[in-house]
Amino acid sequence: MKVPSQFCASTMEDNSSSPSQNHNGQLSAGANVSLANNKHQGSDNGTAGGAGGGSGGGGSGGGGGSAGDERPQYSMPGILHFIQHEWARFELERSQWELDRAEFQARIAFLQGERKGQENLKNDLVRRIKMLEYALKQERAKYHKLKYGTDLVVQGDVKPPIYEEGSSCGGSDGGGGDGEAVSNISWRQGRQLLRQYLQEIGYTDTIIDVRSNRVRSLLGLNNNTDSDDLNTPALNGNESSNKRASENQGRRIPAKKVEQQPSSIAEAMVLDTEAAVMANFEFLAQADIDMEEEEGDVEEELYDASSGSKPNKPILLTEDVDAEAEEVLNELNRLTETEESLPGSMHRGLQSDLRRPCEETDSTLGLGELAQLTVNNDAEVAYDMAANTKETFRKTWNAKYTLRSHFDGVRALVFHPTDPVLITASDDHTLKLWNVHKTVPAKKSASLDVEPLYTFRLHTGPVLCLAMSDSGEDCYSGGLDGMIHNWTLPPATIDPYDFYDPNVLKNTLTGHTDAVWGLSMYHPRSQLLSVSADGTVKLWSPQSKVPLLNTYTSEQDGIPTSVDFVRDEPHKLVVAYEGACVVFDAETAAVVARLEGNGTTGVNRVVAHPTLPLVVAAHEDRHIRFYDHRSATLAHAMVAHLDAVTSLAVDPHGLYLLSGSHDCSIRLWNMDNKTCVQEITAHRKKFDESILDVAFHPSMPFIASAGADALAKVFV
Amino acid sequence: MKMADGSTILRRNRPGTKAKDFSRWPDEPFEEMDSTLAVQQYIQQMIRREPSNIDLILNMPDAQDEGVWKYEHLRQFCMELNGLAVRLQGECDPGICTQMTATEQWIFLCAAHKTPKECPAIDYTRHTLDGAACLLNSNKYFPSRVSIKDSSVAKLGSVCRRVYRIFSHAYYHHRTVFDEFENETFLCRRFTAFVTKYNLMSQDNLIVPITVEDTATESEA
Repeated sequence: MKVPSQFCASTMEDNSSSPSQNHNGQLSAGANVSLANNKHQGSDNGTAGGAGGGSGGGGSGGGGGSAGDERPQYSMPGILHFIQHEWARFELERSQWELDRAEFQARIAFLQGERKGQENLKNDLVRRIKMLEYALKQERAKYHKLKYGTDLVVQGDVKPPIYEEGSSCGGSDGGGGDGEAVSNISWRQGRQLLRQYLQEIGYTDTIIDVRSNRVRSLLGLNNNTDSDDLNTPALNGNESSNKRASENQGRRIPAKKVEQQPSSIAEAMVLDTEAAVMANFEFLAQADIDMEEEEGDVEEELYDASSGSKPNKPILLTEDVDAEAEEVLNELNRLTETEESLPGSMHRGLQSDLRRPCEETDSTLGLGELAQLTVNNDAEVAYDMAANTKETFRKTWNAKYTLRSHFDGVRALVFHPTDPVLITASDDHTLKLWNVHKTVPAKKSASLDVEPLYTFRLHTGPVLCLAMSDSGEDCYSGGLDGMIHNWTLPPATIDPYDFYDPNVLKNTLTGHTDAVWGLSMYHPRSQLLSVSADGTVKLWSPQSKVPLLNTYTSEQDGIPTSVDFVRDEPHKLVVAYEGACVVFDAETAAVVARLEGNGTTGVNRVVAHPTLPLVVAAHEDRHIRFYDHRSATLAHAMVAHLDAVTSLAVDPHGLYLLSGSHDCSIRLWNMDNKTCVQEITAHRKKFDESILDVAFHPSMPFIASAGADALAKVFV
Repeated sequence: MKMADGSTILRRNRPGTKAKDFSRWPDEPFEEMDSTLAVQQYIQQMIRREPSNIDLILNMPDAQDEGVWKYEHLRQFCMELNGLAVRLQGECDPGICTQMTATEQWIFLCAAHKTPKECPAIDYTRHTLDGAACLLNSNKYFPSRVSIKDSSVAKLGSVCRRVYRIFSHAYYHHRTVFDEFENETFLCRRFTAFVTKYNLMSQDNLIVPITVEDTATESEA
């Protein structure tokens, strides 16, 4: 502002009003107080008031002057000239101030617009976070499905994030359906997310462009010279896209902003927006040419981008990929069809916007983050596709690795807690260590052969049972010779034909006088339970100097067959006998409860649920029985196999139960509704024995079965 | 399958079975075995019945494929040799028996390595048994336990030669271990009779002084 300072001092209280009033105040201060009523006239009257004031001022000024100088030199033309001069000066200043005001208003509008843009960006990012969270949930569910062959039970309440402006994303309340519905629903969700995303981008792209171009100008990348002539169409394009966006979005945009953009913002904003606007103009022009083709291109680009970001996908998947890819393309087709109301330019806008920030990821502004997010988004599309193409594999477990090297039936197997490593124990008196990732290429066979890494020899009879410490460093084996050996696991990289190191045997737990048939490890306390044909159950602390902690017997029941810690109440243990399962207190060795139901006979194996107060028992009479160990009641009983059930394993999450039987099959059960999810015929019979043990990997998607046919198999 | 109702014999080792009762069930006639593992079942059944009756153990049932018969017997030998290897592990110090020898005539090189090398005797024993386990379970050479290619049957001879050295080393260097083991299992005698009967090794290599006549008389006694 160019208000003369000598006037400001006396009229400070008037300064806040309009500039024309300032002119009046300046005049009255100059000479004429009688014209003070003119002050309150509008700015339109300022001219007349100024003129009147001017004449009055001239007189009183003359009076003032005469008081000081005694020589009135005022002539009428001189006064008129002065008034005219002053008038012109005031007009000039007024227009100057108008301009300033407009400029500031423009700036305010711009800043408001920018703030809006930031808010939208923020919303966008929040939405992306929600999308990613949802995708993560989906992924967990899928992972679970892949691992255990069935849907996650708790998945039923998983819903896609729903947004308040989701008028277009009507009724997708899907989530954990089963079967084919899952893929459809997840696709619909993905489509809606993508559509919302497109809308968001369509709305915010001008702002993003402004920002990106400011970044560019900051980086000195922008050349402003040749863009002036493009201003008008560019601004039109900008405005129209903005309007369209606002229509599509159904969101309230300050009318001021839309109106002011072409007119008042122009000078201040043009420099910032012109490049963005140029881009807009570019794609608008392109979009005008052939919208249909454009959309096709976009689809392809989307598809290419997504498939490109997962380079190993085509290797893994074979013919199914083509079918799935077609499906994906069809889906995208449908997607674009349903979005015909959206201008084609938005797709283009999405593309160009995605690309440009990507090029600028080195910039330090928030844009870098955005660029990463868009990259993520690409990956997400790819992920969705990958997830759907994998859908077909998730339903079932398939035999992948065959472990052949034992000479006789494999009695037991145990997985390493973290590595794809397992140990098998066999009637041939040996234990073998396997790494399923070290396979032997096999011809014309779907399953891969694995050769053992190490053979543990010390038992002088068949090895019957195994347990593994949670560190994966120690392994325990119990044999027909009554010994429990504590082995140190050689590293998984060991050469099978290395030198013999006697230190592989850490120590031996002696105490049982007959075959040791079962072991169970409680990891938090590093305690081991063993069950023997000598009629006793023993609790060991294998690392202690005096390892034997306690012995449990039940005169009434005879010889125990299997043992497990009660996982939800680890001070208890459950022991299987011929006629019942008995729960002992680990400290006092007293019988706490007896679990027996309708004619319980011949318990071969007992396992406790990892979290629930549930004990599962496998019976010789083909039944699997579930007991509540707290109330000592039979919770459920079912005929599970065609022959004696020999082995049980509960998955680490407690959702699935795996059972093996002498009917040569292993079966996977849903723990929740006790239905069979999958049956796999896995091994052949030797005499009347077939499957002797089953196991879940504690942390990886592997299950395994051990058979009397001297083989072990690992399923993925 | 009928469950344990008395009329059906279930030949299985249930958890809780005492060591003395392990695999102790009434013999099943070979003709009634319908499993793919019938030959192994039969051989193990014969050994369990009378481990010293070598002639009976080696007496091949009629209409049995000879290749499978030899293969299953060799599997059984390698499996039972684990017992000797366990005993040698406690006895045969790699610092003393630094080479695999029997008599002074030969030093045996361990064939488990890319280039055969002089492993200590205990390592030779372990490597040979591990290598035999891999070969005899190889999906490439022995994909089936019901029928075996002639080219694969030819491999059995070299396995026999290698595992025999474990007997000979034990005999010449750890005689007490060998005698203990032999009195329990009659394994060397059975092995000698086996390779002689099926001509899998030359007589010159059978350096443990057990003659076929010995075993024959003993088993008849």
